[in-house]
Amino acid sequence: MPVCFPPPGYVRTESAVEGIELYRQAPELLAHRRIETFDCPQCAGQRAYSVADGGLSCVNCGYYEPPSRPMVGKGAESFEFTVETMTRVARGWGHARKDLHCQYCGAHTTLPPTLLSYSCPFCGSNKVIQRDAPQDALRPRFLAPFALTEGQCQETITAWLRGHWLAPAALKRVAHGARLAAIYLPFWTIDATAHANWRAEVRRVRRIGGKTRVVWRWESGKVTQVFDDWLVPGATHVNPRLLEVVQPWDLAALVPYEAAYLAGIQAQAYEVTLDAAWESARRAMREQVRQRCRGQASSRRMRNFSMEMQYRDENWRYILLPLYLASYEHNRRIYQVAVNGQSGKIGGQRPADWRKVLGLTLAWLLPSLLAALIPAYFLPPSDLALTVSVLGALLFVAGLAFTVYMVTTALRMEGKGR
Amino acid sequence: MTTNGASLPGWGDAALVHCRVCDWSFLQPRDLQVTACPHCYSDGLRPLAVDHDLLPYVRPAEAYLPFALSEDQVRAAVRAFARGIPLAPIDLQPQRLSQRLQAVFLPRWLVDAEVAATWQAETGFNYDIVSHEERYDQNRGGWRTQQITETKVRWEPQVGRLKRQYHNVAAAALDEKPHVRRQLGAFQTAAAQPFRPETAAHALVRLPNRSPQDAWPEVEVELRKTAAGECRQAARADHLREFRWSPEFADRHWTLLLLPMYSTFYLDDEGRPRPVLIHGQSGRVSGLRRASMRRARRLASILAVIAAILLLASVLAVAIGSWLGEAQVQALGTAGVLVGLLVAASALAPLGVVWLFNLSQRRHMQVFL
Repeated sequence: MPVCFPPPGYVRTESAVEGIELYRQAPELLAHRRIETFDCPQCAGQRAYSVADGGLSCVNCGYYEPPSRPMVGKGAESFEFTVETMTRVARGWGHARKDLHCQYCGAHTTLPPTLLSYSCPFCGSNKVIQRDAPQDALRPRFLAPFALTEGQCQETITAWLRGHWLAPAALKRVAHGARLAAIYLPFWTIDATAHANWRAEVRRVRRIGGKTRVVWRWESGKVTQVFDDWLVPGATHVNPRLLEVVQPWDLAALVPYEAAYLAGIQAQAYEVTLDAAWESARRAMREQVRQRCRGQASSRRMRNFSMEMQYRDENWRYILLPLYLASYEHNRRIYQVAVNGQSGKIGGQRPADWRKVLGLTLAWLLPSLLAALIPAYFLPPSDLALTVSVLGALLFVAGLAFTVYMVTTALRMEGKGR
Repeated sequence: MTTNGASLPGWGDAALVHCRVCDWSFLQPRDLQVTACPHCYSDGLRPLAVDHDLLPYVRPAEAYLPFALSEDQVRAAVRAFARGIPLAPIDLQPQRLSQRLQAVFLPRWLVDAEVAATWQAETGFNYDIVSHEERYDQNRGGWRTQQITETKVRWEPQVGRLKRQYHNVAAAALDEKPHVRRQLGAFQTAAAQPFRPETAAHALVRLPNRSPQDAWPEVEVELRKTAAGECRQAARADHLREFRWSPEFADRHWTLLLLPMYSTFYLDDEGRPRPVLIHGQSGRVSGLRRASMRRARRLASILAVIAAILLLASVLAVAIGSWLGEAQVQALGTAGVLVGLLVAASALAPLGVVWLFNLSQRRHMQVFL
């Protein structure tokens, strides 16, 4: 029995029976946390999260305050899929933030109140409506801090934009002016263990009496697969392919959510609900398990395949992952670039210089076409004329192939091709 | 037997009696005629002339459970007990069992106590989680998902203080309580009524042979159990485990609750009394039903003698028939031999039946007291 009563960390709670006092562990005060401000204690200026130092730095005097919470990584607490847990989950952002709604692309973003100018990081539009961030939204419990500074990111983007020979020359100027936004994107991580039983008729070929006969034989099996930290994006306004390209994320770097990490940095609240995220993850998981079940069979050819599958130990986390988003305008089109805020892996859309494509196409195809046709029609038949014609035809075919390559590359750059 | 033993305050006009044979003590209403000790069924009951201060275990009764059976119900229970016994002992007759019926109250301690304690436990709260089961059938259009709900328990440590008054916590006042419970079953204590001396005017009251000191650990266990249940209620929890407390008890007050029972007996082959007990509320009868091996042996002997005579006569008939050359006499003698053998074999049946019956009853035998 505890020597001091009540033990430290315990608070009195309501008892349903007279004569019995009740004390329980004090709950973590997460619900509607007090609003934090990030005023500098030295100069009263504004502090912001410093990616380079991993703490809060004052933009005026350089006052630095290290982060107070340790890294938890993949051991970060996860939650079960209960209605009660959902309501128990801490709410709100924990500090005053403005919620901005983009009238152009519909994205919701929250940002610190000190940020005066704003354009949507997803589409670059400045047509935004400002309102207070809702405190009753699920609050993320963990986040992975930025490991890449804005300067490093800018260099990466510039190099990437300049780095393609099909990119327009004007893009080199745009690269400097790209609007870069550090943003925490919402993600759901989902853990589950899937147990599946399958059976199917599997095709076997047997030689009986010198003849080949097809025999269908029933086979069955079991598969157990553990899914750990299956990531489902909680944002709908970032191209999912972009997010795939900039993966993976290092979840070992997760830290408990602290408002300080968001000081001066934008963040987006989830738009994909937990239910929807879980359903999306289940669809992907069950397909993986189905493939594993089919892989257990002694032959790939089967019929009447059926399987039953149960999920156990289903847990989820709501986390924020760091991303730099840049959007720039070129020829009245908005292009999006994303950079993984941890690894610097980049993905995005780049405009292709279609004039360059056309010019190169013409520069290749026209001479080769002329080389193929002129000797055939205008020169007397000779070995030389035949050779030139054949060479011209070959060059024309090669030019066609090159044109196809250029067009597909250009389309892929613009995010239209696969 | 009318007693003139010592009386006890709070018990009305009843006297202390003591059985010299089994060393049991009872309170006997002075107007009640008791022929035999309801425990050992001997005539060893004698008045006990001692000062009640020398009876440290005796406390006034606070409540009693009334006898709930009518006379007819008791007789019916007795008849049911005696029915269906092959070759029952001569003494095992419903009339005799009914004549010997003796109403007895068995004691149980009731304890009031004030408890002050600090406690700690893990309280469990039920919660539902949502899970899914998926079925895939190639021939039925792919995937089908079923949502299932599973109840789990969330455990939370809690501590607390308790200051409660507990009333009428029951504990055994007889060392033989486990046997009584096993034989008769539980009593419906909700039917308890305040004790008045006249309510025990027709029954003997068994005096406790287990001291409050000996009974206290049982009370403490019961108090702990009750307190744990109340702490669970206080926390509005669904479960409680790892309950630990540091209690201090005060104002302990001991009284008795009287439980109704009928006692009767029958004499077996050896003349030993075999107890038959009847629950005073439910009418459940408990006792060893024995068949009489003596009667079985007697019946077997008679059958054996008949078989011997039949065999002798038949053998003679066969011998005479063969000497005279009378085939009919020979055939009659042969048939007689067969019948004689049959009767001889059947002589074993009563012994076997009784042996098997007693064996089957022994499995259910519970030695009371």
